[in-house]
Amino acid sequence: MNQELHKKTEREDRWIPTICGECYNACSILVRVVNGVVRKIEGNPDSPIGMGRLCPKGTAGIMTMYDPNRVNAPLKRTNPEKGIGVDPRWQEITWEEALATVAEKLKKVRREDPKKLFMMGTTTTVSIQRGVSVSFATAFGTPNHSSSGGGLHCGNGAHFAAGLFHGSWSMVPDFEYCQYAIYFGSSKGHAAGHAANINAQMAADARARGMKLVVVDPLCSFAAAKSTEWVPIRPGTDGAMALAMINTLLNELGIYDAEYLQKHTNAPYLIGPDGYYVKDLDSGKPLVWDLGTGAPKCFDASDVMDYALEGVFEVQGTRCQPAFTLLREHVKSYTAEKAETISTVPAATIRRLAREFGEHSRIGSTIIMDGKKFPFRPVAAVVFRGAQGHKNSAHTCYSIELLNQIVGCSDVVGGSLGFNPVSFGHPDTGQPAFAPTPAPDGLLCPGTWLTPHRIYPPRDPAPPQTMGLKEIHPLGQSSPYVVSADQEELWTKFNLSYRPEVMLNYGANPVMTMGNPGTVIEALKKIPFIVSSNLFLNEFTDLADIVLPDTCYMERYDTLPNSPPILNHPAGMGEWGFAIGQPVVPRQYQRWDYGEFILEVADRIGITRELNAVLNMFYGLQPPYELPPDRKTTREELADLHLKFNFGAERGLQWFKEHGLIKWPKKPEEVYWRIHNKCRVPVYMEFMKRTGTKVKKILELFDVPLDLSHYEALPDWHPCPSHQVKDPQFDLYAFYYRDVLHTNSATMENAWLDEASEINPYSYNITIHPAVGKKKGIQNGDLIWVESVSGRKVRGKVNLSEGINPEGLAVAGCMGHWALGMPKAKGKGVLFNELLELDMNHADPANMNLDLCVKVKIYRDHQGRS
Amino acid sequence: MARWGMVIDLARCIGCAGCQMACKAENGTPPGITWCRVEVKDIGNFPAVRRIPLPVQCMHCREPECEKVCPTGATEKTESGIVRVDSELCMGCRACVLACPYGARYFYEEKKGYYETLSLFEELAYKRHRVGTVTKCDFCQERVERGLDQGLKPGVDREATPACVFNCMTKGRFFGDLDDPRSTVSLLVASGRAFQLLPGHPSDPQVYYLTPGTTLSAGGREDGK
Ligand code: SF4
Ligand code: SF4
Ligand code: SF4
Ligand code: SF4
Repeated sequence: MNQELHKKTEREDRWIPTICGECYNACSILVRVVNGVVRKIEGNPDSPIGMGRLCPKGTAGIMTMYDPNRVNAPLKRTNPEKGIGVDPRWQEITWEEALATVAEKLKKVRREDPKKLFMMGTTTTVSIQRGVSVSFATAFGTPNHSSSGGGLHCGNGAHFAAGLFHGSWSMVPDFEYCQYAIYFGSSKGHAAGHAANINAQMAADARARGMKLVVVDPLCSFAAAKSTEWVPIRPGTDGAMALAMINTLLNELGIYDAEYLQKHTNAPYLIGPDGYYVKDLDSGKPLVWDLGTGAPKCFDASDVMDYALEGVFEVQGTRCQPAFTLLREHVKSYTAEKAETISTVPAATIRRLAREFGEHSRIGSTIIMDGKKFPFRPVAAVVFRGAQGHKNSAHTCYSIELLNQIVGCSDVVGGSLGFNPVSFGHPDTGQPAFAPTPAPDGLLCPGTWLTPHRIYPPRDPAPPQTMGLKEIHPLGQSSPYVVSADQEELWTKFNLSYRPEVMLNYGANPVMTMGNPGTVIEALKKIPFIVSSNLFLNEFTDLADIVLPDTCYMERYDTLPNSPPILNHPAGMGEWGFAIGQPVVPRQYQRWDYGEFILEVADRIGITRELNAVLNMFYGLQPPYELPPDRKTTREELADLHLKFNFGAERGLQWFKEHGLIKWPKKPEEVYWRIHNKCRVPVYMEFMKRTGTKVKKILELFDVPLDLSHYEALPDWHPCPSHQVKDPQFDLYAFYYRDVLHTNSATMENAWLDEASEINPYSYNITIHPAVGKKKGIQNGDLIWVESVSGRKVRGKVNLSEGINPEGLAVAGCMGHWALGMPKAKGKGVLFNELLELDMNHADPANMNLDLCVKVKIYRDHQGRS
Repeated sequence: MARWGMVIDLARCIGCAGCQMACKAENGTPPGITWCRVEVKDIGNFPAVRRIPLPVQCMHCREPECEKVCPTGATEKTESGIVRVDSELCMGCRACVLACPYGARYFYEEKKGYYETLSLFEELAYKRHRVGTVTKCDFCQERVERGLDQGLKPGVDREATPACVFNCMTKGRFFGDLDDPRSTVSLLVASGRAFQLLPGHPSDPQVYYLTPGTTLSAGGREDGK
């Protein structure tokens, strides 16, 4: 190959527009190609997705692309024994053999029971591969499609709250106008994660402008490092602090945006003594009390003069109260003093922060944008992974989000913005267009979402027949039960009628990212046939039967990776931008896209018709831009149709290959959509109570005990397993966080990122406070063991830092790889997940989020200093 | 003739090491050689503490210690203020590595890549580096000069601006002519927030930093303890 290149006489040197694939943000990049070799990656200054700058991973992508350890040919295992350190004895095979083998296995399980197919995908990219993968699962007939670690380790709580309240996947402060933001376990705008690159630019501008940033986090994190105030809270107690702030606002200061609550939330809905909505007998619509006429009315009646938020009323012979009154009464028990004992944050600080948040919200103020008047509420409460990574995930996120709702700062100028839930579409075509719509009870249903599943209205609970038991967790997305320790016990109890027989994995490494590897491996070993498309041979491929050589993002087509733009597109004013990915160099060896593989396999097992129908649905394609029913498509064709459907016949794949992306300015009514939208959001989660009752009935049928106290309509703080440990030896709360240098476990093999991680004392080490070190005779650089209450342990090097709550122990990322196929990653960093329990006792009963915080003890390794 | 200088705003910088990567990519430096590297320091005591990122590179000193000790004249301060190493003249004695007070210099010991074999990219990228010589940040001299030739303005036009500067995702790096009192870098240096590393050291760096500007608030304790 090299010689061939050098022989080329003509010198090729050009820049090609495409997208970054080192994380799900898919920033627009320009790739310099010299004689068929990628020489440099830069941000595309023409695109709002990245605005010409790149995070470290984006620039370093070149090292992923040319890593000589990449898988280059299909492989099959010749050693039937699977386990840690057991060599699969890979043998190269042809694509024909790989395809024929997979097709045969799939035909068999589809005949027997399609649910026996388990599919998994990485969360590192939200590319076309994902769309094709999810669509294949539906076409095949299996409900078992799961996301790897990122799912359990980020989203269930934060996405749940963002979905309910913003119709989006996540939220950020309106960096351009916000004046006071309070972050709970979030580093948005300061590290990795949603729209990381663009948010970093916008957050830096906000900082320079003087936006106050309060960061509540046990670690002086990337965001806390830049904050005006760092509040080093005890892990897992953010919900208690938020509830005390709400109490202060509502009951001590009387600060709330009554008009917003009346018009945009269910605060005025009347709640009966049973805790449910009081409904109109004819229409079934929830009722409100109109103070103007002194009568109950349907929530959406056009003639309500004044919605009652407070009081006791009698309707249909029962005594009822507006939801707001119940909330206000409920939070009274969360005094700042009580929250102090739970969270360690002083009561006076909680009260002051509540007051500052309330005062900065400037309730009642407006601002003129584009000649139109909008509410101006320049405050935002932001929750993400840190605060939500606990067993109390759902209620914590709900409580924090209520802060925004109380002061009415949700999706208005300066406030907390969902990531682009409203689009009017391109001026030429009106596509892609989406907006939240109201459910029959008036509550918000997101208009766009990553997969067809929508957060509201919740699915009706049913006896589980999915591996992840999603039917009894209608409010969750990613399930630990696909690999949990108790899965067999639970499946047996629920009479799951099948067991997974074939697994297709796209790019994920669940062994490293879902929980302690031992548990995950035991679960996966039971699956007789595993196929995995990966860039490298990793810890997961050690369990695979066939490994497929994946393409790097610079070797493939990707249609609209920024759509739906609900986590990778900057929120706030600015531009819409939709880019495509395209190969910048011919792909080498026998590498194939997973998407291509799926299309081919679908054809071989005879489900092309079904797959094309689902793809049409998934991508929202309509005539004349639909996929033909009767023949296998290609990713180029799919991309072409998708692009033409959205942007017009003249703007197909060819146009995008030249231009890279399309962009146009956002309208203020899109960004600040709240006041123009009829949806209401739930300050009272009546649906939670309703769902819980149904879940309870099902669980009783199967005799499965599940703590249903989380299925309540009003927010509470629930202690996590780590808070209940009494043994004083276990004196530290161990938690992990995302390093700016890495995307989950996916970038750990990158040589440049590795080099930078070695320089940064936080990346590969265990951070504890010097006082803890002193007490235990541990010095900077010492090798220590971290041991959980249940005896799980990991070893690593100590980084003593003043920037951590002395009760805490922090570890970055999904590190500690051991696979030989990733030599740069091997032995680097600390495998935090090793400490985690992976079972029902450690998952949020409402949304299934795994508790990612463990009470531990530490002691020096006998080898002492490393 | 301009006097090139750089300003790094530690209030904007989040320590992402994007500059370190941009430099690796632009200049194709071999393993272990990080012309730009991002260090992290904690200042203060819990809870009044902050993590401060500190990108470090050649300071292009006005009085370069490295130049003084170089026996062959390989290290030279150019008219435009860029301190550069002529790899043809460098004999690899490494006196400069020891003399540089900022740890900015690296000895390129052997032609070795990040992996067992050189990747396609590495073969292309390492061509400009000569084994057995000392290397360091050159303010992206080639890029800046190519830009100037095209009539572009360094620090303003992307194609004439050092890679670490135009790529920084917090817009925290600035480049320009310190002799031009109206350049952004001059204005920032005069802003009252600027400082040099090792204050008082005679080397007089032409890379300035702006103070992080964070108040070490008492981390959520009203009594300030
Ligand atoms: S934020 Fe993600 S997509 Fe953007 S440059 Fe970084 S790794 Fe690439
Ligand atoms: S790229 Fe910018 S923000 Fe990132 S470390 Fe370098 S100077 Fe700081
Ligand atoms: S920083 Fe070091 S290498 Fe650079 S000019 Fe100064 S003394 Fe020389
Ligand atoms: S100026 Fe150029 S050579 Fe120097 S650190 Fe920045 S990118 Fe590297």
